[in-house]
Amino acid sequence: MPSTASPDLASSQGSPPAGAAPRRPVSVRSHRDDLAALPAVLNSEWIKLSTVRSHRAIALLTGAIGIFATWATAALVTDEVLVVADVFVYSTFLTAVIAAIASILLFTSEAQHGTLATALTAQPARWLLVVAKTVTALGVGVRLGVLGMVTGFAGGLLGGLELGDTSGMAATAGWALTFTALASVLGLGVGMVVRHSAAAISGLLVWWLVAENLLWAFLPETVSRFLPFYAGGAVLGVEVDTATPETLAVALTRTQDALVFGGFAVIALLAGTVLLYRRDTN
Amino acid sequence: MITVTALRKTYDTRTAVDDLTFDVAAGRVTGFVGPNGAGKSTTMRMMVGLTRPDRGSVRYDGVPYAALRHPAGVVGSVLDARCMHPGRTARNHLRAMAALSRIPAARVDTVLAEVGLETAADQRAGGFSLGMRQRLALAGALLGDPRVLLLDEPSNGLDPDGIRWLRAYLSDFARRGGSVFVSSHLIGELAMFADDLVVVGAGKLLAAEPVAAITARSAVTVVVQTAVPSQQTELAGHLAGAGLDVEARGSQLLVRHSSREAVSQVAFAQHIAVLELSVTSRSLEDSLLDLTAGSAEFASA
Repeated sequence: MPSTASPDLASSQGSPPAGAAPRRPVSVRSHRDDLAALPAVLNSEWIKLSTVRSHRAIALLTGAIGIFATWATAALVTDEVLVVADVFVYSTFLTAVIAAIASILLFTSEAQHGTLATALTAQPARWLLVVAKTVTALGVGVRLGVLGMVTGFAGGLLGGLELGDTSGMAATAGWALTFTALASVLGLGVGMVVRHSAAAISGLLVWWLVAENLLWAFLPETVSRFLPFYAGGAVLGVEVDTATPETLAVALTRTQDALVFGGFAVIALLAGTVLLYRRDTN
Repeated sequence: MITVTALRKTYDTRTAVDDLTFDVAAGRVTGFVGPNGAGKSTTMRMMVGLTRPDRGSVRYDGVPYAALRHPAGVVGSVLDARCMHPGRTARNHLRAMAALSRIPAARVDTVLAEVGLETAADQRAGGFSLGMRQRLALAGALLGDPRVLLLDEPSNGLDPDGIRWLRAYLSDFARRGGSVFVSSHLIGELAMFADDLVVVGAGKLLAAEPVAAITARSAVTVVVQTAVPSQQTELAGHLAGAGLDVEARGSQLLVRHSSREAVSQVAFAQHIAVLELSVTSRSLEDSLLDLTAGSAEFASA
């Protein structure tokens, strides 16, 4: 027969032993407390990001790809006149892939190593963690995007290219950073939904590099222009060899492409946030 | 300090925690025991908001965990010592935790020294032994100088010296007014420093009492052997007639919940000579194993 709590156990509750320090009252948090905690949560995310070697390895890889892409282009492409002002963003597509993967890991490595549970016990306001990780992911995307373009710029010069007309570089860089930043947020959202590094990364890459290309081949232009990475790539303004007058007629503007791609990133993020609240965390 | 009320959690068709209600008092060490699959870890995860209960509540001085203004300052928990990134150093692991809870960075070195990891502070956690990970996890729980410690199997991986250190630390923590809620399979170890016990089996509460009450309830068994073997059955009958719980085991009679005085009086009154009249006391482990015997999910043959 199970016994209920004995009077001895119940009666000892509430009174600290003699000589113990006086107990502080337990206070209840408010929304203002949550907002005030955001800088601290951001700081924690930065510490987590900057204290693992993978972060530095990813930055090195991005820089290496940036230099190599433009240097190799300069060295191998001889049938047209290339300038640094055009080629410095050539590695942006790969940079965006790397940024997406890095942001997947922002969440999945925490889930797999158990530090997500630690974070959730320290900060029960889960939306704060989502906001902090989103800001961090944006920062990752922008930082890697800048690194890719700076090293791409250097690679072009090393390859002997002329600087060219630089008047459009700022706008081009802005669109490139938009692409890498949104790719990063999309990666975070995918990571939050899938919660497993290998599955999230492989799923994202298979969809990006394989599935969408197949869909693009079979879907009408009026539909395929809304595929996430098709729209995202269009943000870069890269001319596609297979573009037809019909394709160009229904093409979205760069702003619209950014909104489509960003919309998918937001959907992934929202889905991940809902699951973060609903799922139990072990 | 901690009030658990009608806690319930079901996974598909299996009820992991079934209407659990108990209190954890301030200034005391409360052990949380039960066989594998009893719902201990699920309960502890619900106590820190990692798992949502289907029903019931857990409150800390009346406040739900999710509503605590400074969770780390109220509850320090270690539910899994493996919860750390292997590529991050111990110091950076704690720095990230401290930053998240707005705890001054100086506290990191303090807790590392408290758990004896100051010389390993700049080593990556991936190279830590299980005992070092346990210490690092405990350091994380202590960062906020909490008033409650929730620990799930904290002595796993600790060597005997480490277990002794942990036992002394937790006892001192309670002595200073803190509440300790610790689950363990090492019942004998718990008995050495727990004040109260919450016993669960198959998700249900089996007992929530001071340790002394549990051990006293089924502790004493009187062993009696008659001088003339044929009088054993006669004596058993007289003892049963006196309302005592008697069991014959070979050449001995076992009389539970009684005393030597009571048994000897019955034998003397019936002029039955006895060769042996001794008392055996059951360990806390025996008492708890009896209590949970019917609810073990995976029991050895």
